[in-house]
Formats: sequence, C-alpha cells, structure tokens
Amino acid sequence: MSEELEKLKIENEELKKQNSVKSDLISISAHQLRTSLSALKWILKMFLDKDIGPITNEQESFINKAYISNERMIALVNDMLTLNHAEEIALSFKFEKVDLVKLVEEITFEFSGESSKKHIELIFLRPDADVLEISCDREMIRVVFQNLIENAMKYSNDGDKVILSMQQRNDNVEISVRDTGIGITDDEKSKIFEKFFRADNAKEKDPVGSGLGLFTSKNIVEHHKGKIWFDSNEKSGTTFYLSLPILKASDTI
Amino acid sequence: MSKILVVEDDSFLQGLEVGKLKKEGYDVITASTGKEALEKIKEDGIDLILLDLVLPNFDGFEVLKEIRENEKTKKTPVLVFSNLSEEKDIKKAEDLKANDFMVKSNFTIDELAQKIKAILG
Repeated sequence: MSEELEKLKIENEELKKQNSVKSDLISISAHQLRTSLSALKWILKMFLDKDIGPITNEQESFINKAYISNERMIALVNDMLTLNHAEEIALSFKFEKVDLVKLVEEITFEFSGESSKKHIELIFLRPDADVLEISCDREMIRVVFQNLIENAMKYSNDGDKVILSMQQRNDNVEISVRDTGIGITDDEKSKIFEKFFRADNAKEKDPVGSGLGLFTSKNIVEHHKGKIWFDSNEKSGTTFYLSLPILKASDTI
Repeated sequence: MSKILVVEDDSFLQGLEVGKLKKEGYDVITASTGKEALEKIKEDGIDLILLDLVLPNFDGFEVLKEIRENEKTKKTPVLVFSNLSEEKDIKKAEDLKANDFMVKSNFTIDELAQKIKAILG
C-alpha cells in the first residue's frame, strides 16, 4: 500500500513538472508573439492615422480590417496567457476569506471609467441582508467578474444598464450580471462555454475577442465547486448567474 | 528639449519608438542590451527612461535596480514597456520603483507618446 502511494507521488511530481514545462513554453511563445503583434499594430495604426502619407478609402478599409484582425490576435494572446496562468495556479489555488460585496464594489468601481465611456450604467444592487464571507481565490474570482462585466458591457447597446445583484441562498452566495443587450440565440446556447467559441451576433458586435473568457470563467468557478449558468433571449439580453459555496478553507482542496 | 533613453533590444520596435519620439521633439538616446543601458544611464540630463524587460546580458529588472541606485537617475521616471504581463513581473517592477508598466501590444505608439507627454508634463 505504501509502495503504491509512493509510486503515485512520483507520478504526480512528474505530471506537475511536465505541466510547468508546458506553461513555460506557452508563456515564452506568447511573449514572443506579442513583439511581432506590437510591430504590426503600430505600423497599421500609422497608416490609418496617415502618418506615412495619404491613402485611398479602399486602402483604408483594408488596412482597418488588418488592424482589427491583429487586435483579435492580441486579445487571443492576452487570454491565452490568462488561461495559462489560471491553469498554472489551479494546482495551488490560494483560498482566503473574501468579502464578496466589497470585492464586487471594487470591481464595479474599476469599470466606472469604461462604462461611462460606453454610455452604459453599471449598477450594483447590494444585498439587503448580510452575506457571509466565502473562501475563494480572490484574483481568480476577480477574473470571473471582470469577464462577465466586460461581456455584459460589450454586448449592450448605447444607454443600456448592466445590473449586478447578490444574495445568500442557504450555503451559497448567488450573483447575477444582467444586461439588455444582443442576447444569445437558442442554437448557440449549448456552446457558449466552449473553448474558443464565439456566437455569430457577438462577432458582429465586436470582432475583437478570443472566445476564452467564459471558458476560463467556468473553469475557475468549478475549481471553487461553484456553478455558472445563464438565461438569455435573443435581442432582449442575457443574465449570467454565479453560485459560490460558502466553505471552510479546509473543505476546498 | 527633454531627453529620453529608450532601452529596447528589438531593432525594429526601437526604430519605430525612436522615430515617433524624435518627431514629438524629444532628444532620444538608445540602448539595445542591458549592458549598454547600464552605460547610458551614466549620461547627464536624462528626463525619462523607456525600459524593456527582456534584454540580452542584464535584464530590465537588473537595469532598473541600477537606475534606482545610480545618483544621476535615482529619481528619473521609468516607464516599463514590455511584453511581460504576469502579476509577478508587474509587482517586481513596482517594488523596484518603476513609475508605470505598459504592455507593448496593448498600446499604439501614439498612446505611448501621450503617456510620456503626461509624465514629462
């Protein structure tokens, strides 16, 4: 029995080592990619700003497409690094007591600049009753909220509201992020959490995006033994729900 | 005329940065390796340092450490301009008293120039 255990331990160490080689490789190549992507971005922007001289409308429209395509690639690299980072630290999630109300207040505050720029009102409806602190990895849960809020704003229309609410339900804290944006079509509902998936209307509304945000969020939430789901109607908007268990730190690993 | 030291090992990117900053009216000096950067910071009158992190021989963190220990540059604003973006890298740069941290691919060269203008006032 102890021999078996020993063998498992060795195998586990070996897997961890392999995983770390893999994430180093991703990290190095992503950073190298960024160098070329930056050069492209800067030069295309110089053309678009006519820094290099006048261009025809047709040229401008093509260069603009190239610029957007490059922006997509940059977003993809950024998300790949986030995902890599998330996978890396998933092996050692740092659980701590977190006051979710405070965390969500912080995050909505951080988004205030962007929301006013996009003429979207971001509202956090604080819970009526006290919400117990939960045990979670603060930075990872922050990533989840950022993804959900970013999406909600991205797929909303000018002048819309994005509303966050929170309440405690038995042993869980439930949070919702509601928008009145473009919604998700019935055909695409089942694919929304898939890696690299982007809905057609989402691509149309915003060509920049990698399709990793919700995939990453789901992974993180599931590492917390939580749940993420949504309700959506095409054209009338989407509400994402998040439920995180109130656990003792010792229960989670 | 404000003087800027541009530390960047990729010659193509360096060329674009230098071109833009000269056009904006700055006096620009450059370094392409960590070692060269350590030499250049001994020059007089540098008003701002644009610093890449991944560099041959001495990396940007080592250069930053020396910048903060060097009498002439210890109070000079340092704008880290890198393709690294992990929290541990940002924290390390902050601990070494970098004034700002920008990820290259997330900004255009114009936005970089605006940032520099804001710092130099």
